[in-house]
Amino acid sequence: MRYVVGYTANARGRDALNLAVSLARGRGAALDLVMAIPDAGVFNAAHAPAAGYDSYLHRQASEWLDEALALVPADVPAKAHIRSGESDAQTLIDACDEFQADMLIIGATSSGLFKRFTVGSVAGALLHAATVPVALAPHGYHRREALTRLSCGLGDRPGAEELLQVAVSMAKHREVPMRVVSLLTLDGGDSEAAADAARDYAAQRVAAALPGDPSGDRAAAQLADKIEVVVAHGGSVEEAVDRLDWEDGEVLLIGSSRLARSSSIFLGSTANRILRALPVPMIVVPSDYEFKQANHSTSNEPSREAQA
Amino acid sequence: MSTEQATSTAHTEQHGLSEKGLKAGSVGLIGAVVIGVSCIAPAYTLTAALGPTVSQVGVHLPAIFLVGFIPMLLVAFGYRELNNAMPDAGTSFTWASRAFGPWIGWMGGWGLVAATIIVLSNLAAVAVDFFYLMLAQVFGNPELADLSSNLPLNIATTLVFIALACWVSYRGMETTKTVQYVLVAFQLLVLGWFAVAAFSHVANGTAFDATAIAPDWFNPFAVESFSAFAAGVSLSIFIYWGWDVTLTMNEETKNPEKTPGRAATVTVLVIVVIYMTVALATLAFAGVGTEGLGAGNPENQGSIFAVLAGPVMGPFAILMSLAILSSSAASLQSTFVSPARTLLSMGHYKALPHKFGKISPSYKSPSYATLASAAAAAVFYVVTRTLSENALWDTITALGMMICFYYGITALACVWFFRAQAFSGAHSFFFKFLAPLLGGVILLVMFVKTAYDSMDPAYGSGSSVGGLGLVFILGMGVILLGVVVMLVMAKLRPEFFKGQVLTRGN
Repeated sequence: MRYVVGYTANARGRDALNLAVSLARGRGAALDLVMAIPDAGVFNAAHAPAAGYDSYLHRQASEWLDEALALVPADVPAKAHIRSGESDAQTLIDACDEFQADMLIIGATSSGLFKRFTVGSVAGALLHAATVPVALAPHGYHRREALTRLSCGLGDRPGAEELLQVAVSMAKHREVPMRVVSLLTLDGGDSEAAADAARDYAAQRVAAALPGDPSGDRAAAQLADKIEVVVAHGGSVEEAVDRLDWEDGEVLLIGSSRLARSSSIFLGSTANRILRALPVPMIVVPSDYEFKQANHSTSNEPSREAQA
Repeated sequence: MSTEQATSTAHTEQHGLSEKGLKAGSVGLIGAVVIGVSCIAPAYTLTAALGPTVSQVGVHLPAIFLVGFIPMLLVAFGYRELNNAMPDAGTSFTWASRAFGPWIGWMGGWGLVAATIIVLSNLAAVAVDFFYLMLAQVFGNPELADLSSNLPLNIATTLVFIALACWVSYRGMETTKTVQYVLVAFQLLVLGWFAVAAFSHVANGTAFDATAIAPDWFNPFAVESFSAFAAGVSLSIFIYWGWDVTLTMNEETKNPEKTPGRAATVTVLVIVVIYMTVALATLAFAGVGTEGLGAGNPENQGSIFAVLAGPVMGPFAILMSLAILSSSAASLQSTFVSPARTLLSMGHYKALPHKFGKISPSYKSPSYATLASAAAAAVFYVVTRTLSENALWDTITALGMMICFYYGITALACVWFFRAQAFSGAHSFFFKFLAPLLGGVILLVMFVKTAYDSMDPAYGSGSSVGGLGLVFILGMGVILLGVVVMLVMAKLRPEFFKGQVLTRGN
């Protein structure tokens, strides 16, 4: 299990690093810290040849990475790499391919000026093109212990079952309780009936996603007892998210929109709004991530992240 | 590259230069020529330099434009040798330090930084002129063009342009290949259009001051005085400035053996053809008279196309405004890279305070150095604009001087650094010794002569401070300021000045 961390030597990079340590600890994963540096654009520099600046950049980047490695606790194996490319997002996606990463972890903030999640440009680009789950650390994330709970955002779109399966096996292997969250935005109407319908729907989906015979699998059986289904109401998605209680050690798993190109992430507008209101990290899973992984693997497990 | 490797090389090469950045070659011949032409930015250089040069050498403009290329070529050979031996973002600073030691090296770096900062302020000012001119053309309201001569508004707009370009450069955004191709093609097209339109006015008898082209225009020895000749050459150095970039592109090109040389040749042919055509068209259409549209009219010196494009191109003059605005805006942004990297290198080698060596963690650009360059360009512009009757004209003249200064030092640094190899073969003798020696000496002679002449209060646009020409004040002031800063730095961070950081020789 390898996670790529998109590291920058600023607060955003440290948010990502903390989340990476936390995620790695629950799963025994190794970290690959990747610092993306831009290719020196030959179509840019007037009156100065580009040669030479690269070496300053490399030296600075390796200093920064050394500092970052020093921040990683001893029980989490980590390596550092410098990679260059045209855009930071593309560089990180390529690095995920290179290291066959199971997840990409980045800091999501663009600056500290805005509330919690404001998707930075790199994060924004990644969410439209990554082929592995992308974990987004919110601004100022400093927790480094393993997760304590996994939430899974449920919609009624195609792909919800696959997402639930990923969530179930993730929770199982991390031995954490799981919560299924259904977000309802109500503009008047019969809120009680709608909530009940949503709760029933979610419960059905959860039942379908659980292994057929939980008694044969002790971990799954334990998990089945611990799955909680909640429906959050609010006048808006932001309000619904705000009304839920979140544990410090929690992450929210959501699927990407059906608009996504095959096997890449596209964050729908709802997910984008969740992101802005959410106080905990969020992991965005590409639309047919499970499907791709199932083809590569003989097991029925939906993804490598979920495998033992 | 892993960090372990990178750190160890940084350690072993503490006293020398760090290794070349590796990258796959990606630029072919056409790409390299486009880069060369875009670095020169012919539409901008012509509008900025044509007038001041005419004021020095009159109708011998074509001759001076041709002669001006010779020292540039000679120096560029030396530049290429140094770049191959010691590729470093500090360029002139690093090379001159390695050859002559810290003091001259420091002044070489200062000269480069000063020249690029002066050109930044001039680029911004030209962009602002054409910005208002374009507004006037778009809305059919000539009064809008006059806003450019409203001093506070002009200064404010120029500072906004500088700030924008600085922000783009700080963010590490780069002009893409496509944009660069389009900008270059558009510039060449519009300049060609201008020349054709000017010649057809001459043919139709509708030119302002139709002047017959004479062979004498091409004779540099017909220039009336050595002063005028020196001034003309140092101005025409400016119009080829940036061309050397094509020669120094190596690992970026698909064929490092052949592409840079060919690209440099093709670039200079393109540039010379366009310069000659436009210079001849301008002289033939407008003459060198000092009245009205004449190229010798001091009113027209700062930005010749701002005045001539309308009469020559009619309603299509807006294309000229667009071409110059776009090329100077693109150059403004890309030129920021140059002083920023040199300042970064100086900070890194402890020749300037540590913070100049900072790289932005988010954007991977030289953060402090970029901001410092913008601040310096802004200050320079405000000072010049306030003191000078014709700031553009005077800055270009001061700029020519500054380029002669640091190119001269760089060329001689090549001669001195490679002195042991100078006679080890015909190639070495020519490229590492003779060419840079001649080029360096020519440029430094031009520098001294121009500096001396510019003490005359009537020099350039005729602005003066305390009985001394403004060009002299600007040029020498900047160099003296450099000396002062250098002495302060020698007190604050003596290691560099004791030769403990960048060592001399191989």
